[in-house]
Amino acid sequence: MARYSFVLRRLLQVIPVLFGITLITFFLLHLIPGDPALQILGSSYTKARGDAIRHALGLDRPLVRQYLLFMQHLFHGSVGESIFFHEPARTVIEERLPATMFLIGYSAVVATLISVPAGIISALRQGGIFDQAARITTLVGFAMPGFWLGIIFILIFSIHLNLFPVNGYGSGFVGHIDHLFLPALTIALAFSTILIRTLRSSTLAVLAADYIDTAKIKGISRFRILSRHVFRNAVVSVVVVFGINLAFLISGTVIIENVFSIPGLGSLLVDSVSTRDYPVVQGVTLVFAVMVVGINLLTDVVHAALDPRVVLE
Amino acid sequence: MSNRRSSLRSRLGGMARGATAFGVVALVVAGVAAAATLRTTHRTASTDTFVLANAVKIDTLDPEQNSVNESIWLDQNIYSRLLQPNATGTKLLPDLATSWKVSNGGKTYTFHLRSAKFSDGTPLTAQDAAYSILRAKALKGGWGFLLDAVKSITATNAHTLVIKLKEQHAPLLADLAMYAYSVLPQKEVQASPTGFFNKPVGSGPFMVTSLNKDTELDLAANPYWYGKKPSVKNIKVEIVPNDNTRVLLLQSKKVDAIENPPGNLINQIDKYPGLQSDLFPSTRVDFIQLDEHFAPLKDPNVRAALNYGIDRNAIVKLAYSGHATPGSSYMPYKMLYWNASLKPYPYDLAKAKAALAKSKYPHGFNTYLIEVSNDVAGNATAVVIKSELAKLGINVDIRTYELLTAYSKEDGGHSEMGQRYWTNDIIDPDEVTTFAVDPQGGANAFSSYWSDPTATKLVHAARSELNPVKRAAMYAQIQKIVYQQSPFLVLDYSPYRYAQGKWVHGFHVNPLGAYNLSLLDMTVDSH
Repeated sequence: MARYSFVLRRLLQVIPVLFGITLITFFLLHLIPGDPALQILGSSYTKARGDAIRHALGLDRPLVRQYLLFMQHLFHGSVGESIFFHEPARTVIEERLPATMFLIGYSAVVATLISVPAGIISALRQGGIFDQAARITTLVGFAMPGFWLGIIFILIFSIHLNLFPVNGYGSGFVGHIDHLFLPALTIALAFSTILIRTLRSSTLAVLAADYIDTAKIKGISRFRILSRHVFRNAVVSVVVVFGINLAFLISGTVIIENVFSIPGLGSLLVDSVSTRDYPVVQGVTLVFAVMVVGINLLTDVVHAALDPRVVLE
Repeated sequence: MSNRRSSLRSRLGGMARGATAFGVVALVVAGVAAAATLRTTHRTASTDTFVLANAVKIDTLDPEQNSVNESIWLDQNIYSRLLQPNATGTKLLPDLATSWKVSNGGKTYTFHLRSAKFSDGTPLTAQDAAYSILRAKALKGGWGFLLDAVKSITATNAHTLVIKLKEQHAPLLADLAMYAYSVLPQKEVQASPTGFFNKPVGSGPFMVTSLNKDTELDLAANPYWYGKKPSVKNIKVEIVPNDNTRVLLLQSKKVDAIENPPGNLINQIDKYPGLQSDLFPSTRVDFIQLDEHFAPLKDPNVRAALNYGIDRNAIVKLAYSGHATPGSSYMPYKMLYWNASLKPYPYDLAKAKAALAKSKYPHGFNTYLIEVSNDVAGNATAVVIKSELAKLGINVDIRTYELLTAYSKEDGGHSEMGQRYWTNDIIDPDEVTTFAVDPQGGANAFSSYWSDPTATKLVHAARSELNPVKRAAMYAQIQKIVYQQSPFLVLDYSPYRYAQGKWVHGFHVNPLGAYNLSLLDMTVDSH
C-alpha cells in the first residue's frame, strides 16, 4: 500500500491548486472590460441604471472585498447567485453537471470500444490493409473539426435515416444513451485517433519483446499471451494518454454541446463568460479544476496498479 | 522466428477482429435499440402543437428581470398586461383593462379590469395588477424609470385600478403595455419569490407545463384565459443555439419554425421544398456612434462627409444580402410618429469631399471603428465603411472586441466610432428619443455626447403633450434636427429573421419581436 501513499499527498496538494485557480479566475475575469449591467440593459444602458445594477449585485465594492466574500460563500458551500439565471449558481451548475459527465463517460466508452480493437489489429496486421486504412482514418479523423463532423452525423443519422435525435439530452438512462449517441460518437472519433495510434505503437513494441517469444516457447496459450503479456503491457502507456486527453475533454466539449444543444457545463461556461456571470464562471471553473485533478490522480492510480515498476512521489 | 511471430499475429488478429465486431455490434445494437424505443416519443406530425426553435436560452420567466429578448417574447404568452401592442406594433389594444378614463388634466388614469383568472383558477384582481406594476417599478436598474412620473397606484376595488401622476406623461399607456409590467398573482409570488418563476402562473393564453431553461419550454392552452381559445393547444419551444442545427431541424420537419436563421442561408431555405423564410419588420436601427470627444467627429462638416461617403445600399447588400432597408431617422422604421419625409443620405462622393473640404480636416484623418466579434453583418458593415471612407482620406482602423468589451469601450466617453443598434421596448417614441436625443436621458445621445437645446426642449414637451397631432409634429421636428446634425450615423433598419414550414399558417412577429397575438389564430397542418 506504500505505493499508493502518493494519493494522500496529491489530495493535499489539490487545496493550494484550487485556491490558486479561484484567485486567477476571479481577477482575470474582473480585468476584462464590460460587466453584467451592460448585458442586462443592452441598448437601453445608461450610467445611472448600470450603477444601480452594479450596486444591487455588489459589484461596486472593492475587488478584494468581493473576492473575500466569494471565498466566504465558498466555505459555506455556495458560489453566490447567478446574475443571468437569477438563482443560486450552485443550482445552475448542478443541473448541468450530469449532462457533461454523461457525455464524457459515454464518449470515453465509445472511444475505448473503437480504439482498443482497432489499435491491436493495426499492430498485429502491421502494414496490412486494415492498418493502412486505420492510419488514413485516424489522420482524417484528427484533422476533421468536431462541429463539422457533428453536422454531417446529424444530416445522415438524424435527417435522412431518422435514427437518432438531433438535439437535447433526453430523460432517463435510455433517453441519455439515445440522445447523446451522436455527440459521443463525434467526440469519440477524435479521441480514438490518438488512442489507436498509441495502442498500435505500444503493442508493436511489446510484440517485438523477447519475453513474448519466451512465453510462446514455454507453450503458453495464445489467448494468455495476448491478455496477460501483450495487452496488459501495451495498455499502460495508453492509460496515461487516455487520462490526459480525458482531462482535456472535460472543458473541451463546448463545441459539441453547442452543435447538439446539450445543456452541459462547457456551453454554460462560455455563455457565462460572455454575460459576465461571475459566480457561475467561478463555480464551473472550480468544478472543472476538481475534475481534472481527480482524473489525473485516477490515471496515476491506474497506472501504478497496472505497472508495479511505477513508483510515484 | 519471423514466420512464427507472423503466425501468432495472425491468430491474435483473429481474436481482435472478433473483439472489434463485438464492439461495433454492441454499439450499434445499443444505439439503435435505444433509438427505436424512444423514436415514438419524438414529435410526430400534429395539428395541435406548434414547435419553435429559439437560438438563445431562457434567462428567466420573471418579466421584471428579463434581459433576453427571446425570453421576453415567451413571457407575453404566459402573462397578461393592462394593455398590449397590436400586431403591427403601432397601436395599443386592451388586454386586462377593457376601458380606461383619463381625468384631472391627464394626471389620473382609471382602469377597469375584466373578470379574469390565473391559469391555476384563482381570480385576478386589481390588487394583483397594482402589486405587479409597483414591484417592477421598484427594481433597481430595471424599467421603473419609465414610470418616474407615477405618484401612486391603487386598487380601489377588485376591478378598478387608479394611477395618479405627478405630471402629465403621454407615454403612460405604452409603458404599461411593456412586458415588465405583466400582472402576476401577488400571493404566490410573495410566497416563493424565486421558486414561483420556475413554474410560473399567469393569466395569458398559455401556461407553463414544463421548463428547462437550457433546452425546452412547454406551454399548454390556459383553460382559464379570458379570450378565444387558440386552435394550437400546445407550444413547444426548443433551445437550439447552433444556427446550422436549427436549419436542419426545420428541414427534417422536427420543428415548425426557427428563429434567426443565418442570413447566408435565407435564399437556400426559400428554395427548399415546403419551407420559407420570413423577414418581419423590426424596431432595430443599426447606427455608428460618433463620440464628439474626438475632435474631428464634433465637426458638423465631417459628419456630413461621413453621411454622404457611406453607401448604405452597399451595406444592405453585403451585410444583409439585401434583406434590410437603408436608414434615415433614428426612430425605428415606420414606428409611431416616424418621419417618412426624411430619406436616407445618398452615396455621393462629390458631396462628401465637398463637405470634408469645408471642415478643419480637408485631407482626412485617422480614426478607429469598434465592431463586435462574431457579428457577421456588423463585420461586413465595418469593411464597407473602411473602404469607402478611405476614398475621403479618412483612415479607419477596425477594432474587434467581444460584445460586452466593445460596449464598455464605446460607452466610456473616450471612444471614436463604434457600431451599435437600438430596439424598442415600447411603441411610444419617448423611450428611443430620450436615449438618442436628451442629454439628461442617461445615454448621452447614444454616447455621442451631442446635444441641441431646441431638440432637448421638444423631447420634454412631447413627453407631456397629450394631443397626438401635436406630438407627431414635435417628433417630426426632433427627427429632422437629428437627421441634419447627425450626431450618429443611421445606417439601416434590419428585420427579424425567421423560417417556417409552409404547413404553418399565420405565424407573425410584430416589430417589437412579439408573436403572442399570432399564436392565438395560427394553425399547423399535418406534415
